[in-house]
Amino acid sequence: MAERALEGLRVVELSQLVSGPYCGKLFADFGADVIKVEPPQTGDRARHWGPFPNDEPHPEKSGLFFFLNTNKRGVTLDIATDQGRETLLELLRDADLLIENNRAQTMRDWRLTYDDVSAYNPDLVMISITPFGQTGPYSDWNGYDLNAYHLSATGHRYCGRPGEAPLEHGAFSADFYGANAAAAWGMAALYGRGVVGGGQHLDVSCAEVIAAVFVGAQNIGGYAANNVFERRTGVGMPLGAPATILPCKDGHVWMLALEPGQWNGLAGVMGNPDWMQLEMFQDMFVRAQNADAMYPLIQQWTMEHTKADIMEWCQAAGCPSTAIYTVAEAAEQPHLRERGYIVDIEHPLLGKMRNIGAPFRLPACPGGPASPPPLLGQHNDEVYGGLLGKSDGEVAGLRAAGVI
Amino acid sequence: MANNDNTNPLPLQGLRVANFGWVWAGPVVGQTLSFLGAEVYKVESRARIDINRNLPPFAEGEPGPDRSLQNHAGWAGNGSITLNLKLDAAKELAKDLVAQCDVVVENFGPGAMDALGLGYDVLSQVKPDIVMLSMPTAGLSGPLKDVRTYGMSLTSLAGLDSITGYVGGDPIPVENAFSDPYNGIMGAFAVLVAVTYRDRTGRGQHIDYSQQEAIMQLTGPAFMDYAINGRTEGPKGNRHPVAAGAPHGVFPCAGDDRWISIAVTNDEEWQGLVAAIDEPDWAASDDFAAAADRLQHVDTLHEQLAAWVAQFDDRELAARLQEHGVAAAPVSDVSDLLSDPQFKARGTFIEVTHPLGFKETIYGAYVKNSVSKPVVRPGPQIGQDNDHVFRELLGIDEARYRKLIDDEVIY
Repeated sequence: MAERALEGLRVVELSQLVSGPYCGKLFADFGADVIKVEPPQTGDRARHWGPFPNDEPHPEKSGLFFFLNTNKRGVTLDIATDQGRETLLELLRDADLLIENNRAQTMRDWRLTYDDVSAYNPDLVMISITPFGQTGPYSDWNGYDLNAYHLSATGHRYCGRPGEAPLEHGAFSADFYGANAAAAWGMAALYGRGVVGGGQHLDVSCAEVIAAVFVGAQNIGGYAANNVFERRTGVGMPLGAPATILPCKDGHVWMLALEPGQWNGLAGVMGNPDWMQLEMFQDMFVRAQNADAMYPLIQQWTMEHTKADIMEWCQAAGCPSTAIYTVAEAAEQPHLRERGYIVDIEHPLLGKMRNIGAPFRLPACPGGPASPPPLLGQHNDEVYGGLLGKSDGEVAGLRAAGVI
Repeated sequence: MANNDNTNPLPLQGLRVANFGWVWAGPVVGQTLSFLGAEVYKVESRARIDINRNLPPFAEGEPGPDRSLQNHAGWAGNGSITLNLKLDAAKELAKDLVAQCDVVVENFGPGAMDALGLGYDVLSQVKPDIVMLSMPTAGLSGPLKDVRTYGMSLTSLAGLDSITGYVGGDPIPVENAFSDPYNGIMGAFAVLVAVTYRDRTGRGQHIDYSQQEAIMQLTGPAFMDYAINGRTEGPKGNRHPVAAGAPHGVFPCAGDDRWISIAVTNDEEWQGLVAAIDEPDWAASDDFAAAADRLQHVDTLHEQLAAWVAQFDDRELAARLQEHGVAAAPVSDVSDLLSDPQFKARGTFIEVTHPLGFKETIYGAYVKNSVSKPVVRPGPQIGQDNDHVFRELLGIDEARYRKLIDDEVIY
């Protein structure tokens, strides 16, 4: 295997569930040595969240844990004990990056604030990822992706029908946005340690990231100036049409035909029905005003055809409509198979597992998941013995004391 | 425009970026690098104004490509130079700039930069260790590489749209390009990983960044259910994405379109919630005894909870539930972003003065660094860095510079 981009970088991940582990995975994907520190016995909470084979919970068989923790080494450590804390500090002494997503009060209780750890290693970059951030009145609140996401106004503004519930996207959207920002800013902080003169602490609020870069980006300037704001409409684009999701024969399509060339392309695909020539449908803005009349007419046609046909015909005619791929269809795309995005990884309990690959390709130094997530405490001996140089007796002592 | 300040060292000082990116994702790559100290020049032209420069509303109600209030937050930090890349003389100047850059960014379709004579093959001759980030919709290769989408429909190709909507209903569209800023930030991460590799090995490279693949990572948990169990599900509403807890949703509160989010994923939080409601009879039902029971009876559980929530103000209720250890928070609308105490305390949104003199509100550093504080510059005004780049950086003399402007090469 070619040398990977982040070889030589050591990351300690004191994180559970989604945000911190996904951030750690991004570093692990590109060759950093990521050591995941989990509580003894129970491990990362994600081990207890599914999907599991046949929905039977098993701490080594969580699909969520698998996806988020490939390429990492795993150790167990009871941070709440003095010995556990000392051992973690030993690990941090030679580390470049600490990624944690615990509640701020928990880190204070553990005496593992940035001030605490930077005293041991001033070059350490520390990333804290939480739903609300380290400062502000909500900083000690309990929270999950759902709470952070909806605090950002993303659902209220952009997802759902008027008068009905604002929607998350069915994913861990805010957690991923936070993890992504943490990785980019963390990578910069690591890159520039020489310029900056050492490490620093990065405080990431998942709610703040998505509120700023997605909702704030295209709403806050107008709201601040004019004191008016928009809400979700349930339609892809309320002011231009067609631009929304419609049902078709075997699922759904994203129907888009805004510019004249796109609309004419769609008309050709649909066999140039007379209604498409009417004055009331002659530009995207007028069509939006007459959307209630237009969408049923388009839908009559989409219901007769498959998403694959509609996408193929529209794309060929210069109209950017696409199929709404189910998760299965997305996974089975020939396009992604040809690009090598879907990978197989052998796991001791799960056997050959399909997984999705790196988020981007570096031709000179390829990345992506290659080794399975660690079993709970799998690398205790090689990390505590090999890396920290503890004797067999010392490791056995930690084990007997329940610290690892 | 450089972000240099000796009292506030930024980690990417000395990194220079030519950003051919347009609309939203590409400019956010430049913004992210700029916030962290890189010198970033968006390369654009009056010959074909970037469509995002014409997004209403405009400053003081006056339309113009330098006055789009809806655009400036997402672009702030990028500098701007103007080159009419249809002209050979402009292409040569672009190459001269790239020769002095570390990074090139673009988010056109595959092959567009080659067609301009500014593909990786050419630019890597001009600057052998250049890191070039190309981020088309579906990557640089494969049968779908020329697919056309809008930012808001790109997620359809990643399976993400299929799980967005009310449970049991059709997929509901997300009404803006959710993946654009996500890919902009991830694109910056990709650049920094490649630059780290370049510093160690001397080798640049051409990053093949598929926006489809990067955003499909959010579908990962659902993908694993398909990989493991062959199961593929429709819209998940606000339910827990991997069914690890209930209640898990948003519930209407007192007032117009006011809601609260409540997420319970363990017994301790459930007991906290029951205590906060003052131990109602319904909560003692066997239907809600264990986590698995609550998931099985999630619809009735949500009905019961909604009936109780409806009487409360969302903020007061969130604070009350938090006192009992329950993960609850107000559901913001856009106006709350400026008034919510958390965003206010963190200075999430800031007022700045645009180079043209008007004030505007944009977002600032959306990550808080303990040492390096981004210097957030508004705009950019189109062509604001022409003098600096063409005269100082490229060393073009006054007479030639004037001629290039008169000939609409610098335009």
